[in-house]
Amino acid sequence: MRILAIAGNTFRENIRDKILYNLILFALIMILSSIALGQLTLGLEAKMIIDLGLTSVSVFGTLIAVFIGISLVYKEMEKRTVYALLAKPVHRWEFIVGKYLGLLFTLLVNVVIMTVGVALTLLYQGGTEPATFLRLLPAVYLIYVSLALTTALALVFSTFSTPALSALFTLFLWVIGHFNADLLQFATLTKSTTVGWIAKSLYYALPNFSNFTTLDSRNIIQSAAHSQAVDAGAVLWVTAYGLLYCAGLVAVAIMVFSRRDFK
Amino acid sequence: MAIIEIRNLTKDFRVGFWKKRPVRALDNLSLDVRRGDVFGFLGPNGAGKTTTLKLLMGLLRATSGSAHILGEPVDSVAMRRRIGYLPENPYFYDYLTPEELLTYVGRLFGIRQPALGKKVRSLLERVGLAEAGGLQLRKFSKGMIQRIGVAQAIINDPEVVFLDEPMSGLDPLGRREVRDVIVSMKDQGVTVFFSSHILPDVEALCDRVAILRKGRLQAVGALEEILTMKIEAHEIILTRVRPEDTDRLRSMCETLSTIGDRLHLRASSSRQVQQILAHALANDAELISVNPVRPSLEDYFLHEVGAGQDGAPRE
Amino acid sequence: MTGLAATASRNRVWFFAAAFLLCSAMIKPVQDRVDARFARSPSVDPDMLYFASPAAVKSLSLGYQSLLADLYWIRAVQYYGRREEAARRQVRYKNLAALLDITTTLDPQMMDVYRAGSSFLAEPEPVGAGQPEESLKLLDKGIGFYPDDWRLRFDKGFVYFWALKDFRKAGQVWLETSRMRSAPPWMEGLAAMALSRGGEVETARALWERQYQNSSSREVKENAKNHLLSMQVDEMLWTVEFLAGRYAERRGGYPARLDDLVRAGYLKAVPVDPSGVPFDYDPHSGKATLSPGTRVRYLKVPYDYRDAFLQKLSSIFPK
Repeated sequence: MRILAIAGNTFRENIRDKILYNLILFALIMILSSIALGQLTLGLEAKMIIDLGLTSVSVFGTLIAVFIGISLVYKEMEKRTVYALLAKPVHRWEFIVGKYLGLLFTLLVNVVIMTVGVALTLLYQGGTEPATFLRLLPAVYLIYVSLALTTALALVFSTFSTPALSALFTLFLWVIGHFNADLLQFATLTKSTTVGWIAKSLYYALPNFSNFTTLDSRNIIQSAAHSQAVDAGAVLWVTAYGLLYCAGLVAVAIMVFSRRDFK
Repeated sequence: MAIIEIRNLTKDFRVGFWKKRPVRALDNLSLDVRRGDVFGFLGPNGAGKTTTLKLLMGLLRATSGSAHILGEPVDSVAMRRRIGYLPENPYFYDYLTPEELLTYVGRLFGIRQPALGKKVRSLLERVGLAEAGGLQLRKFSKGMIQRIGVAQAIINDPEVVFLDEPMSGLDPLGRREVRDVIVSMKDQGVTVFFSSHILPDVEALCDRVAILRKGRLQAVGALEEILTMKIEAHEIILTRVRPEDTDRLRSMCETLSTIGDRLHLRASSSRQVQQILAHALANDAELISVNPVRPSLEDYFLHEVGAGQDGAPRE
Repeated sequence: MTGLAATASRNRVWFFAAAFLLCSAMIKPVQDRVDARFARSPSVDPDMLYFASPAAVKSLSLGYQSLLADLYWIRAVQYYGRREEAARRQVRYKNLAALLDITTTLDPQMMDVYRAGSSFLAEPEPVGAGQPEESLKLLDKGIGFYPDDWRLRFDKGFVYFWALKDFRKAGQVWLETSRMRSAPPWMEGLAAMALSRGGEVETARALWERQYQNSSSREVKENAKNHLLSMQVDEMLWTVEFLAGRYAERRGGYPARLDDLVRAGYLKAVPVDPSGVPFDYDPHSGKATLSPGTRVRYLKVPYDYRDAFLQKLSSIFPK
């Protein structure tokens, strides 16, 4: 399939851009922390390893999603590699979807390797029950979905904006997306109905990243760190939100890209 | 039916921050290209050649007018299976090797293994890159990039091939190789549409040409037609001309040069020819030959296109 | 490049290399200067950056509050047990409660933080902050989140007992805790001990009696019995001491033998310890002690209600 060919090539490009070297930094962090921990925390080692590990998965993943995502389309247009490509029997939407899936796959590899790293560090530390390892998975999964959403945001910007601006906007939306709850609260507290209506609309329109960090009022990394199970139903609904929002964003990217002239 | 059919193709670009002033890059172009022809597309920089090619490839959207290739509108993705394209100053993914690039392109055409592998290898041989198959494209010289560009343009055995400045940046050996490829394609019945600055190549290869200037079609037709259009120069070779006649003759012709004991005169109109012959014969000169001078495309170019540009009156 | 050009470019390289080395060498002394200015004012709070309201920190954490909680906790741990000059210490301990509050707001599930943190807070200076009220607040927060956990309540009682010397309150807390299903069996005894030190002797005695009657564990019954007997012993010894004192006031000297107290009408009979063994009596001090041959397992727990008991005796036996 053409989409798979494009996705595969995007993945190959990421690999050859040596993006996976970020894993080395991650490995260093995990090693150092597991050594230094004993001195510091009075018996909270496992929690810290999971907190540090999963936070790293999220932070590194977000940085990769943003900084590679914003050049997904832009780079091809700037370097004109897109010319030869679009003259082939490839629909413009196939190009967008292929690039998106390619980066998602790179992120998947990154996330999986990091999660294995966390598990290995836990094993090395010793004394962790098997259930804890299993309970890492929902957190990792939700982090991955949030990365897919971040990538979709970056993708949209990369179809029409320079990398500098795209990075700014994407990161801005990512940060704002964690304050959605405050926005909703503001909407209910404000006296003016217009302002309240605007705030509420913004609440639904902006990407709600707190869906992926907080499940049933509990922080997902925290739940994993305390080896607590999460509600499968909640995970399913949050996944639906993620899928919908990503699909919408990809559709926007396709629309913008389809109308473009390549001068 | 023409294999490439362009009708009233117009493209405006909006320039300026508030997108107010449109710049007309292509003005009402209409053109037909017959199957099997090698069609040359000429013009000075900024004439609209690359714009035309991009419109044909669906990289730009026309402001008005239409274009069809193989009977299909240019935005037809299915039609692109049967064509090939080499962009101007091409750039391909520099982290790939030529083998990887061609395999990737082949997959986009839906060519499967093991046929794909064989095809890639034979293509690399054909464009002379067999030894460099494992080198990343970032290490390629411009000539090598051009060659891989040709290879990716023909990997699908297209019926029509579009080449934008295929010889640019190549040394004479490279140009020769591209010419050979174009000739071999013609032999196979492939229609070749290419734009170029290198007029001798166009002259040698093309059946028909079109000349573009400032977005407008200046002339189109078979090469001979264009070149004989409006230029009726003849070369008259005389001998045994008396010295005092030489000056007289000089005033009657465009140029006069002496080579050995022969006088070569260049007359630019039939009237001049008549004058010269009459005078020569009246003065006992001997006529060796009268031949129509076939001007080169370069002459035509400079004369027609260049003159028109600076507003000097044309003859 | 040859000759002069090569030499010139080589010289340039050396120049810039020297410049780099010079800059690097100057970094340390300059940084030390910067730090020295900072250190001179201990009132400048090095942790100023860390503080905002806990809720604010939480909502600013962008979903990474669990790790942030760990970082705040590490900071708090670094405070504990450091021996610095008083001025620095003041500042640090001012911050400790706030740090712990933020930590537990970010991650309310860190049991170790509640327990160890409250210990840091309650521990007197210079090892800890010496802020038992803050310690209690932290423990109450933890209890709010873990209402069924007996250990936090146990810790709370301890703060009352050791840091605040409020034995009655400690006993009350431990008494409530002992009623929880998950509480260990010795909790009741602990409550009793505290209550008695707090002056609630009868409650303590009642607790021991209940333990003795209700417990199915032989050791616990034994322990309760010993506590009751010890209380009895203490009361008997104090009574002897009191009466001997009264005797001395009247007769000008302590009784030579316990028998004398009986003959003088102060006692009905010569007191023996609960195991039936007579007490030893020292006529010079007027004090009785447990005979070494006693079969009572005397528990040397300081039931500190001697003064209250003697006062009661005074009211029964007026001068």
